[in-house]
Amino acid sequence: MTVPATLDIRPSSLSPDAAALLGRLVLIVLIAGALTAVDPGFASVSNLLNMLRQASLLFLVASGLTLVIIGGGLDLSVGANLTLSACLAAAAIKTTGNPWYGVAVAIGAGTLIGFANGLMINRLRLPPFLATFGMLWVAQGIAYWFMAGQTIYGMPMSFRYFGTGFFLGVPLPIWITLVVCLACSTLLHRTTFGREAYFMGANQTAALLSGVPVERRRLLLYVLSGLTAGIAALVYLARLNAAEPGIGEPLLLPAIAAVLVGGTSLFGGSGNIVGTVLGAILLTIIVNGLNLLNVAATWHPFVNGAVVLIAILADLALSRRRPGSS
Amino acid sequence: MRTTRSIRCVLAAVICGTLSSSAARADGETIAAFTKNQVDPHFEGVRAGVAQMAEKMRATVKYYTPTKPNNITEGMSQLEDVGVTKPNLMLFMPIDAKAQLPTIKRLIESGLPIINYNDRGGDAPYLSFVGQDDYKLGYDIAKTLFDHLGGKGNVVILEGVKGSTTGDERKRGFDAAAKDYPNIKILASQPTNFQRLLGMQTMENLIQQFSTIDGVIAAADASALGAIEALNAAGRKNVAVVSINGVPEAVEAVKAGSLLAIAEFDGFKIGCVATAVGLNAIRGQSAPKQVTIPGAIITKANYAPWLVPYKNRTCPTPDAYIAK
Amino acid sequence: MSASVPLQRKSGIAQLLGAIPGAGLLLILMLALFTLVNPRFVSQTNLVNVGLQTSLLLMIALPMTLIILTEGLDLSAGALLGLSGVIVAEALLAGWGVFAACAAAFAVSAVFGALNGILIAYLALPAFVVTLGTMGLMQGIALVLTNGDPVGGFTPAIETFYRSQLWFVPLPIVIAVALYAALWLLLYRTRLGNYVIAIGGNKDALRLAGIRANLVHLAVYVLGSAIIGLSAVLLIGRTNSAHPTVGIGMEFEAIAAVVLGGTSFEKGQGWLFGAVLGALAITVLRNGLNILSIDSSLQVVCIGLLLILALLIDQARKQFVRRAA
Repeated sequence: MTVPATLDIRPSSLSPDAAALLGRLVLIVLIAGALTAVDPGFASVSNLLNMLRQASLLFLVASGLTLVIIGGGLDLSVGANLTLSACLAAAAIKTTGNPWYGVAVAIGAGTLIGFANGLMINRLRLPPFLATFGMLWVAQGIAYWFMAGQTIYGMPMSFRYFGTGFFLGVPLPIWITLVVCLACSTLLHRTTFGREAYFMGANQTAALLSGVPVERRRLLLYVLSGLTAGIAALVYLARLNAAEPGIGEPLLLPAIAAVLVGGTSLFGGSGNIVGTVLGAILLTIIVNGLNLLNVAATWHPFVNGAVVLIAILADLALSRRRPGSS
Repeated sequence: MRTTRSIRCVLAAVICGTLSSSAARADGETIAAFTKNQVDPHFEGVRAGVAQMAEKMRATVKYYTPTKPNNITEGMSQLEDVGVTKPNLMLFMPIDAKAQLPTIKRLIESGLPIINYNDRGGDAPYLSFVGQDDYKLGYDIAKTLFDHLGGKGNVVILEGVKGSTTGDERKRGFDAAAKDYPNIKILASQPTNFQRLLGMQTMENLIQQFSTIDGVIAAADASALGAIEALNAAGRKNVAVVSINGVPEAVEAVKAGSLLAIAEFDGFKIGCVATAVGLNAIRGQSAPKQVTIPGAIITKANYAPWLVPYKNRTCPTPDAYIAK
Repeated sequence: MSASVPLQRKSGIAQLLGAIPGAGLLLILMLALFTLVNPRFVSQTNLVNVGLQTSLLLMIALPMTLIILTEGLDLSAGALLGLSGVIVAEALLAGWGVFAACAAAFAVSAVFGALNGILIAYLALPAFVVTLGTMGLMQGIALVLTNGDPVGGFTPAIETFYRSQLWFVPLPIVIAVALYAALWLLLYRTRLGNYVIAIGGNKDALRLAGIRANLVHLAVYVLGSAIIGLSAVLLIGRTNSAHPTVGIGMEFEAIAAVVLGGTSFEKGQGWLFGAVLGALAITVLRNGLNILSIDSSLQVVCIGLLLILALLIDQARKQFVRRAA
């Protein structure tokens, strides 16, 4: 196993993490430059904000997932969690007329699902892949059953502001992304919890032996993943102005792709939240660009797959070039 | 509806994990009714229509829907499984007509009477086809939009699922209408898979790409509703949007004025008529080879009947649609 | 993680319990329950249905077992199934013979398997990410080749093949059984099989012993993909058409089947027969719920609960065995 990047203490002007982030940023700028050359409309403020707003929806689903993956876990239930939280929140808002009940319900449901995931993995010692895969089906099934083939639509304007509103000329979902990103980043890099999460992901046995309360930390990671799924559910609900039991399912693989393209390793112990932001932007800019170039939609999966492969290969090349790394 | 949902809320906590059989016992024939997913309210309309007519004609219905939306292999397995339970009548809509045709043919050979409804199920000896003319729906709604625009303007098309009969036929209708209007310019035509999120994001990108869009034709309500959200968010107020289907949410949008018109593709009526035609046939009446339900154009002038919840609507009889 | 306990040392009830994994127990329970509620469940036609549906799932779950034994994963299996089907169909339509068309699908599958294998074995990249990427590539190629439309109208020989029987047993079931036998021999009766299992347990030790571990690792992916590519022929025979996205989601079902059967993601612990139990459990559950006409939304919940329940039984079983020892 390779040495986790965060334990790399060689004196160096650029940490490997920063280098990876910079590489992604350069790639985004290059693609953006090429697209602007083809169509100057691409670089317009409105298109850039539009793209960032689309990317922020993807990021919100992927944010908590990033934390879980850094801690050595996996959460396949984020998409279904989003679906169920959005449906329950929509019902709460429609019955009470008060958006804050919806906020409470979505966050409560999302967190509860995350908590259940954490419990299954901790107490019952189920492998994360399967526990959360099972949860995916359970949450999706409850959503189908609850909605009974209908959609819930027509959210109050005050609530829709979360998805469609602007603050200082910037769409609200982008602000929410900033806040979530900042919170996750602080948590990861400025707290004991964050350091322990990296430690757990890199080497769980060592973490356990050196006194990290692994189970409690892990539970919190899954709760946070559920929480961000709940927040994402609210933004989706506000953005779409309707809840239907099919919204979350297509988001799972793109969200995982955003985390991985962002440079977070599935082996755990390395990666960061800013990478996921860049990953989400990268995946979004490519779809946006393909549309701009009038490339048929049938090509999208191919290009997305290629981006994932290029990202991991580039990281590999980057880490091999540095002396001292195996 | 709302109370039902809160009751479901409470029930969810109470009987979570217990299996309640959904089939109510009646003394008549058993019908196996297939739909494509649990996501699109159109199919809830179909199921509601089947339920009402079956109750009226004293038959029992069992519903089959894939657990993953529009999943072909699951649809195949459900067909094979229903062959075992031997219902008296099957109401079938294909998820993929080509893929499911071999199994359907074998079921018909084994003596199971099958009505094909909603989507055309390919060349098999069905008792009857009950549905609508998707090409005509597409043509009519596109024409409605083009007339509204005065025969000229920039229009974008949000297609359905590529390769599905409904999606392709509607698209053919849109294109045919566009040919009749030389001053209508089709700026772009992109698949949105009958989905809301894809409709919204595709529209967001098209807005960036084209500074003037006068009209939007969507192959289904969900895509149109997503597109309207995108248009509103971008402050494009004077864009006329039309769609096909007529689920309650879209009819509300017509009432509110954000959707110009809908070509009615009425799941409820299709469900009712298919059930009646099928039950009549297995009770000895002759079945018409084809029942085509005409689709009205739903506008601000006539939307009211489509706002009635499915449960409170009354099933039409097949006679209304069978050519004398 | 808790240390693994070899199951051979036990005796009596503990041994009996140790021998029946969670999926097996659930399978017995479901068979009893479904038969009681609707006797048609055990009718010949239905058993044939269950057999056919299981064998299709097994054609992916068996090679997936090999891959998971090497601590790997193949998310691209479903996409490859769609792509291979499309290649066979397009080749047939272009006038190729049946064997040439199958050979083409076989070759393309093997190449993609090799791509997965090289990236995973030689470059030590995580299988999840690699196969997520190649999944996109395969799905994209299938979509572009067909423009997203299903492909039909090729020779009926494929469907005839799928529907044919060998001594009253449908051919797909025979093929699945033969594949099981072949892989069983490979895994448990050859040196290569020992290496495969050892890769999951300790690849470095294998390498130190002078074995070309990377090559073995690569071979597992090539073999797995080739099997999946060929099973696409059965799938397009079942539907008499090829659909570019038909296999999407099947990879998760296959992975679930493998793990339900007691194969672990870690340390190469598992057994081939577990995939059979897991695939049977999943198919029987879906089939039984259909036969009983359970609401589709409740079916979705049931599948999730079954997954978790089977894993729970396994946990309890291991603990019981450990205590009895």
